[in-house]
Amino acid sequence: MDLLEMMSSNTGLYLAFLGSAIAAGLAGVGSAIGVGIVGQAASGVVTEDPSKFGRTLLLQALPGTQGIYGLLIAFLIWSKIGVFGNIVEITMQQGLMFLAAGIPVGIVGLISAIYQGKAAAAGCNIIAKRPEELAKGMVYAAMVETYAVLSLLASFLMLNGITV
Amino acid sequence: MAIVKMKKATIIALQAEKESLLKSLQAFGGLHMIDIGDVQAEELKDVPKDNANEEAARLEALLSQVKYSLDFLSKYDKSKKPLFPAKTVLTESQYQDYLENLEKAEILYKECRAIDEKFAEIKNMETKLNNLLSQLNIWTGLDIPFEQIGDTLYTSSLIGHIPSRASQEFSEALLNSEKEYYLEPVGEDKESTFYFLVYHRSAEETVQQLLKQFGWTKVNFGELQGTASENILDIQNKLKELEARRAELIQQAEAMLTNKPYLEALFDILNVEKDRKDVVSNFVRTKKSFVILAWVPEPLTKALEDAMKKVTDFYILTLEDPSEEEEIPVLLDNPAIVKPVEMITEQYSLPNPRSLDPNRVMAPFFIMFFGMMVSDAAYGIILSALTAYALYKFKPTGGAKQLFQLLCLGGLATLFWGALFGGWVGGLIPIKPIWFNPTDEPLKMLLFCLAVGVVHLYVGMGLQAYKSIKAGNIKDAIYDQGFWYLFLTGLMLLAVAPSVGKYMAIIGAIGLVLTQGRDNKNIIKRLLSGILSLYNVTSFLGDVLSYSRLLALGLATGVIGTVINEMSLMLSGNIIGIIFMIIFMVVGHTFNIAINVLGAYVHSSRLQYVEFFGKFFEGDGKPYAPFSIKTKYIEQKN
Repeated sequence: MDLLEMMSSNTGLYLAFLGSAIAAGLAGVGSAIGVGIVGQAASGVVTEDPSKFGRTLLLQALPGTQGIYGLLIAFLIWSKIGVFGNIVEITMQQGLMFLAAGIPVGIVGLISAIYQGKAAAAGCNIIAKRPEELAKGMVYAAMVETYAVLSLLASFLMLNGITV
Repeated sequence: MAIVKMKKATIIALQAEKESLLKSLQAFGGLHMIDIGDVQAEELKDVPKDNANEEAARLEALLSQVKYSLDFLSKYDKSKKPLFPAKTVLTESQYQDYLENLEKAEILYKECRAIDEKFAEIKNMETKLNNLLSQLNIWTGLDIPFEQIGDTLYTSSLIGHIPSRASQEFSEALLNSEKEYYLEPVGEDKESTFYFLVYHRSAEETVQQLLKQFGWTKVNFGELQGTASENILDIQNKLKELEARRAELIQQAEAMLTNKPYLEALFDILNVEKDRKDVVSNFVRTKKSFVILAWVPEPLTKALEDAMKKVTDFYILTLEDPSEEEEIPVLLDNPAIVKPVEMITEQYSLPNPRSLDPNRVMAPFFIMFFGMMVSDAAYGIILSALTAYALYKFKPTGGAKQLFQLLCLGGLATLFWGALFGGWVGGLIPIKPIWFNPTDEPLKMLLFCLAVGVVHLYVGMGLQAYKSIKAGNIKDAIYDQGFWYLFLTGLMLLAVAPSVGKYMAIIGAIGLVLTQGRDNKNIIKRLLSGILSLYNVTSFLGDVLSYSRLLALGLATGVIGTVINEMSLMLSGNIIGIIFMIIFMVVGHTFNIAINVLGAYVHSSRLQYVEFFGKFFEGDGKPYAPFSIKTKYIEQKN
């Protein structure tokens, strides 16, 4: 069997891997950026008042969830195609479906995490000036997360519909 | 519902008994003072305001001294403090003793102050010495004592530096001048080269000109005697001495720590006394009498009278219901199991005193959502056990107590939902779900979550209807909620029972079209805004979809748990692998619990704030803050 033949017979698998890479990779990048943004703002607050560390940490954790959602979808793709045990033979069509399933959580995760990071960074200002209003800052950030949750749901339902 | 009814109390009593009365009222602790100057009651308009006297100013000054001493000593207190320290109990006579012997506080303040000043002095000297040290360091290569640098009969000698980039040129220029001189480079730092220079008096003019040309900066150590190395040694000794003096001062400060409990108690006592002196600024007074205006919770009115009677019979106390526009402080009264949830509402806003307290209705939903989102029975057990232990062991108070109680309840709900959905440490313990496994049947779970959301939203609308009915506007309740119920339920029934659903939806829709624009006089406008109002069905849809986060966060817990398990199990094989596997599992699951509890807390709150409160809640209540004995360290015993 020459290389080309082997490639084409396994295209589905490559596509599925690509799908999981998009899910975990992009969402992870988003979370890294988002958490970083909050970290910078939080450091500013803590320089003024170190006792606010715990509260800023809560805000910093918020944009971290997108990365987890991405990993979650990637993991489900892997378990479906049997990365942890016996690799399942899948067709190209199925591979494309896996690829498509990885996209919502990847792209929405990437962008929503960055914006959630910005909202949470602004929340750090609330902590600096009116620490008792922390909950409101968290809610503003959580509003952004809604769309990450919806994209996770979209990816998950798509994935659930693929039969191997 | 659970907002305590307030009565407005007006108290008139005698100046002569003011002090003892206030003492009794402070111990009673139920009066939320109204500043009479703010309300401008018609009949009190011409009565002059009372103000805090010199006594209050004296207490204030003393208090700031005690606070200074306390803060100063706390810096040197290395003893381990319990997370939630118990309060010291003081009897009435001990309390008085403190107040009668205030000289000790002043002495302590002076001592603390003196030590602090000495610290500042040492610090100052150290900075100076360290500066000098860094200047001297460059001259260690020069073994000529500083006092010998200067002019002799025929020569001049000096030390200084020029920019390094000009140094080469400088020495060449000197050489080319063919004068009698001696130039020794002593050292170099980032920018400059340091020189020792001797020249014959006859070369004075040339040399000075060259120095000017190359930007020579003269260095002068003034009074210093001996070589640089000798001086450095000397400074190092001095620094050591200062260090020793500092250690001595720290010891002195630490020796004073025995006074900390005294200062803490005094701090509280002075605060209580000061509160009592300050509170009079809310009153008005005449020569012989004074007037208090305050809110008192209805259940406490009897206790208020008792507190007054205990001191005197010469007083007038009238209680009246609040008028329409007055701002009433909000005090919530809920059963112990609902109390922890009050925190969630308070972080949003206290309810409007004329509206209703959502806590009792919200509590079961909040706890339930929390449980559904964490949804791992074993995590629930861990969370409940840890928080229950913390509550029992540390006896926290205030916000910390509420939070722990909330997490404990949340843990129980997590256990419940985890067991229903079969989540046990991310599937590590294979226990069959009592109901079904959401990972296998996500659509079923999604429908369940959305159904829960619909119930939650309906309850929210129901509370708005309840409010309208209570206010006597039964029509509003029927138009604004009744028709929506009909319309929305009809739409949802279309999926299961189309015939019934269709008629319900149509009747509901007609009702809405006819009534939603009822504020408009113009009949066309009225119908138009009625039709437009149907568009709100999309916002309802959006609200319902928002509850899909219950599924998503629940799945996240389960799947991350599974990932942690699978990755850990890959490590197993030999003994070392198993050890690492266990460590990895413990760390991983701890992380999973932490991140999911945070997520569940935030998102469960959000569902209350945005979806639920949006339907009915009126906020902006001002907290009830009674005039009472507020202490941090002590407790008074009668």
